Amino acid sequence: MKMAAGPDLERLYDEHAQSLFAFLLNLTRDEDDTRDLLQEIFIKLTRNPALFDGVRNERAFLIRLAHNAAIDLMRRRGSRDKARERLAAEAPSLFAPTSDPDEQAFRAALAEALGELPPEQRAVVHLKLWEELTFEQVAGLLDIPLNTAASRYRYALDKLRERLRPLYEEMKEAE
Amino acid sequence: MTNEETRQSMSMENFEKRLAHQPSRPVPSEWREEVLSAARQAAGTRHSALDSRPSVRSTLNRQLSALLWPSPRAWAGLAAVWLVMLAVNLATGDKSPTIATDAAPPSREMIMALRQQERLLAELIEPHATPVANRPRPFQPRPRSELRNQILTA
Repeated sequence: MKMAAGPDLERLYDEHAQSLFAFLLNLTRDEDDTRDLLQEIFIKLTRNPALFDGVRNERAFLIRLAHNAAIDLMRRRGSRDKARERLAAEAPSLFAPTSDPDEQAFRAALAEALGELPPEQRAVVHLKLWEELTFEQVAGLLDIPLNTAASRYRYALDKLRERLRPLYEEMKEAE
Repeated sequence: MTNEETRQSMSMENFEKRLAHQPSRPVPSEWREEVLSAARQAAGTRHSALDSRPSVRSTLNRQLSALLWPSPRAWAGLAAVWLVMLAVNLATGDKSPTIATDAAPPSREMIMALRQQERLLAELIEPHATPVANRPRPFQPRPRSELRNQILTA
């Protein structure tokens, strides 16, 4: 039986793992879950090489897989892991460390504030801010209407701004 | 600086830019090997699973043996009985021509006798009309006063 040539996993990893990592970590708020999901995505690609047939935007496709996998994980856990979610909301360092203490404090506060957002808002914010996607792309990727994507982003950003205002102002004044 | 001024200074655009410039943490380097080797292992499992995919024939064999395995002797006995019955049937089969083809047309007397029998039978099984007067009347309750009168006259 002739096998279909699978995707080049090494190349895919090198080009997209960083994005997937950041997105999954922001969604799951847990490093172990992030690694498991990243592994799950690559295993899925290996098992179903046909998944990649006709894919034009690899990054968008992989992020969609990542999003679906993360949502599945959260659904599987359901409400039994509320305590874990609360812990996770406080925890992970999403951003690169920096030697500037103000900037470090801002990043830590931002990570914490992101954890307080509902996952669906967090996903939109992440894709818009850190993947630099348009609302149309975000909506297409998450299978939601364009207006929903825009409103989720607006609500989320309002919350973040409210939450981070004191720190942000301090930093602005220092500059 | 009033709250409103603060709000103004913290324009949404600047805030968004600020957030967007926060670099995400790098993915741990050791994950690359872990993730890729897990994927390669999965690929190996997939290949071996495909290689060992059973054919239609072997699947049929397996299904049949699963069906027959619980009581192989009983199935063998039943098959032997069927074979014996078939052999007996073939050996002692009636080779004479069928009656319908050989039978002569019935004689006139026979037809007459048959018709007479038929008529007789029809008379016998024809239902007798029960007279209306003999039919049992359905029970209808009568007033008590009539009953009392009957008793008194009796």
